[in-house]
Amino acid sequence: MVRMIKAGLAFTALAGAFLLQPSLRAQDSMKQDSMKQDEMKHDDMKKDKMQDDKMMHDGKAKTLETGKFHGKVHATSGRATLYQEADGKLVLRLTNFKTSNGPDVHVILVATKDAPDDANFLKDNTEKVELGKLKGNEGDQNYEIPAGTDLTKFRTVSIYCERFNANFGAAPLEKF
Amino acid sequence: MNKNAESWLSRKKKLMLSLIGVPVLVGAWWAFRPEKLFVNEKVNEAAPAALSAEPEALYTGRLEGKVHQTSGRATVYKTTDGKEYLRLSDFTTSNGPDVHVVLVRAENKALDEEIVKGELESVELGTLKGNQGDQNYDLPASVDLDKYQAVAIYCERFHAIFGVARLEKF
Repeated sequence: MVRMIKAGLAFTALAGAFLLQPSLRAQDSMKQDSMKQDEMKHDDMKKDKMQDDKMMHDGKAKTLETGKFHGKVHATSGRATLYQEADGKLVLRLTNFKTSNGPDVHVILVATKDAPDDANFLKDNTEKVELGKLKGNEGDQNYEIPAGTDLTKFRTVSIYCERFNANFGAAPLEKF
Repeated sequence: MNKNAESWLSRKKKLMLSLIGVPVLVGAWWAFRPEKLFVNEKVNEAAPAALSAEPEALYTGRLEGKVHQTSGRATVYKTTDGKEYLRLSDFTTSNGPDVHVVLVRAENKALDEEIVKGELESVELGTLKGNQGDQNYDLPASVDLDKYQAVAIYCERFHAIFGVARLEKF
């Protein structure tokens, strides 16, 4: 009887060791794997950063923010992107841009997260920064942003008809 | 003569009307500029000078997490010599085994799932270089970006989609 129990225990121990072994080994190799990966990752990231410097930020313009225009009443579409030039100057560029033509239309920044079609900036006392008269209702165009504009506050670009206090379209800016 | 006198407006009234009406019409035209409904003003300004020598952004999209929290931005650039590459910026996902960056057709139903059943039809861009930080991946010259409009961070071992960015025209 005792012998049987002993034999049983021994067998269980053996079987256990046998079963556990591969998983232990697997875990080990996984650990190594992930360590290797980590090492590789560091290398890669280092390499990558250097590559970025070469490809992207040659000490020139940096992309800060971007947002898509929406506006149904006056069918506004396209993209607004904020760039910072090497000397710190901020430029807003509209690309793929289209809106309806209208009188006295301006490009402004407003101190809101987004603006619906029926936004009433006057009534809501929304703070605005004027960027200039809309140069054209279609096509790519650039606008300078006045120095000292607080971009943490002014989060939306609006195509704004001053005469009728109408928001033709708005692009909420997101981090690039 | 007789007919004239019988007309529904006297001369005086006509004069008054035109004195008021013409300025009103002019004012209304100035205010509404209705002809602008039919006239487009097209412009085509070049990018700011500092940008002209830089790679041009073609598509961009925000990454959204699926199985694992993933955030940041995926942007496709074209270098001045015509090579296209994908850049992840402001990027964070969870670390994992066998994670790849792939392009997927935007209409692929698998993108609605977290775990893909079967094989994910995709274009491989490479093993994820790091689970955090800015990184670039070359695009194969043959890839059709009109069709493959989604970027997925994809764990091939477990068929798990970590995150997806749907690309939109820049």
